[in-house]
Amino acid sequence: MSSLNKLARLNFLAVCGLLWAGGPALAQTPANPSREGVPTLSGYMELHLNKEQAQPTATDLHRFVLMIGHSFSDRLKFWSEVEVEHALVEGGEESGEVAVEQAYIDLMVHRRLNLRAGMVLVPVGIQNERHEPPTFNGVERTFVDTVIVPTTWRDTGAGVFGELGGGLSYRAYVLPGLDATGFSADEGIKGGRQQGARADASEPAIAGRLEFRRGGLTSGASFWRGGSGFGLTRLTIETPGVGVGSLDARYRRGRHELRGQWSMVTIDGAGDLNRALQQQSGINPNVASRLLGAYAEAATRVSPNAWTHEVVVFGRYEKFDTQNRMPDGYLPLAEFQRSAVVVGATYYPDPDVAFKFDVVRARNKSGVVRAPWQINAGIGWWF
Amino acid sequence: MWCVPATAAERSDLKVHQSPNRAPVKIVKVTAERFAFSPSEIVVEKGTVIEFHLTSEDTDHGFRIIGTPVDVAIPKRRRGVTVVTYTAVEAGRFIIECSRPCGAGHTAMRATLIVK
Repeated sequence: MSSLNKLARLNFLAVCGLLWAGGPALAQTPANPSREGVPTLSGYMELHLNKEQAQPTATDLHRFVLMIGHSFSDRLKFWSEVEVEHALVEGGEESGEVAVEQAYIDLMVHRRLNLRAGMVLVPVGIQNERHEPPTFNGVERTFVDTVIVPTTWRDTGAGVFGELGGGLSYRAYVLPGLDATGFSADEGIKGGRQQGARADASEPAIAGRLEFRRGGLTSGASFWRGGSGFGLTRLTIETPGVGVGSLDARYRRGRHELRGQWSMVTIDGAGDLNRALQQQSGINPNVASRLLGAYAEAATRVSPNAWTHEVVVFGRYEKFDTQNRMPDGYLPLAEFQRSAVVVGATYYPDPDVAFKFDVVRARNKSGVVRAPWQINAGIGWWF
Repeated sequence: MWCVPATAAERSDLKVHQSPNRAPVKIVKVTAERFAFSPSEIVVEKGTVIEFHLTSEDTDHGFRIIGTPVDVAIPKRRRGVTVVTYTAVEAGRFIIECSRPCGAGHTAMRATLIVK
C-alpha cells in the first residue's frame, strides 16, 4: 500500500508540474507561431518475408506505426506512437495487435531536469527506444532485444530526464511493475509486460538510463527494478522482485560501425512462482531465476562514397539464454539456451528506406530439439 | 538583421544575422542523430558570428534556436550540409531543438547555446 502511495505522490507531482507549465512562465520564451497548434505526423513500417526451416514461407506486414506529435509551446510537448502489428486485428482471434506504444507529455523545465508523464518506453538497451527500421541491421530485431529485453517494452509512468553536460544524459521513470503470471521459459518476462492496459500499479518499478555520447561513440547503462504482481490471479506467495540490467555501446567511424549489448534479468522467488503457477494450471512454466543475453555486431558500408545509395553488410553473434540460472529443484530446458549467427545486407536507396536481407543460423544446447535456420527479407521505412 | 532562404540542394546557406562590425566568424560543426545533437553544448562570446555547419547521421532533422529566427532543416545522411550564420548579439542561454519529427525521442532532442 505504501508503494502505491509513493507512486501516486510522484504522479501527483508530475501532474502539478504539467499544470504549472500552462502558467505565465511560458511567456518568457516566445514561441515560433508557425509551429504552434500544428500537429506533426510521421511513422514507420516494416514488411517481412520469413522462411524458417520446416515451416512455410510467410509474409507479414509486421509493423505499421503512426506517430503524432504536438508542441503546445516551447516547453510543453506531446508525442505519441500508435502501432498495428501483423496488419489484422480480429475480435477474439489471436492475430494482430493495435497498441499505443507511446503517449506522453514533456515539460521542459531546465536542461538538466525535465518532466515526462504518460505512456513511455522503458529506457533499457539500444532498440527499445530506438527501433525505427532504418536504424538497425537485420530484418527482425535482435534476439537479445526480443527475449531478454522485451521490446517494445512500454508502460504508463512519470519521471525525469535531462542532460548533465560532457555528453552525459539520463532518463528515470516510475512505472507499474510486471505481471509474473505471464513469465515463461522461452521468452522470460516478455509475457509479463502490462503495457499500460489497466496496469496493476501496486508493485511499482523504477527504470533509468545513463547515456554518454562523444564523437562516434554512444554508450549506455540501464536498469529496471520492481515488483511483479499476479493480475487477477490469486497466488499465495510473495510477489517476485525482478531486476534488469543492461550495458550497450555503438561506435561509428567513417563507413564502419560496431555495436554490442549485454543484458541480464533476475527473478527473485522463481521457484515459488513455478510451484504456484503449476498448482493452478497444471503446467510448470519453468521460469528461470536468471536470464542472460549479449550480442556483438560489425557493419560496414561497401558502396562507394560517390553513390548516394548505400549498401551495408553486417554480421552479428548473439547469445540469449532464458534458462541461465534455475531456482533450486528446477532444471534448465536446454532448447532455450540459445545462440545465433546473423549475416546479411541492407540496401538504402534513401537513408530512410531500408531493403534488408539476412540469414540466421541459430543453435541451442538441446540434443533433441534443433534450432531452425531462417532466411529473412524485409523492407522498412520511416517518414 | 536579415534572412535569406536556402536554395542549394547540396549545401544550403542561410544567413540569419549579419554582423555589423565584421566580427570574426566561428565555425561550429554540429552533427544530428536520433535523438541528440553533438556537441550538445556550445559556448561563445557575445558578439561572435557563428557559422553552424549542420549534418545528419541518419534522417533529416531540424535546427531551431528558440527565441531567434534560426529554424532550418538538416538534410539526411550524406545528402549535404546546411550552413547557417547567426550573430550572438544577446547574452544568455538559448535552447536549440530538433524541429522536424525524427522518432521516438524527438521531443527531447535538444542542445544549448550559451552566449557569455
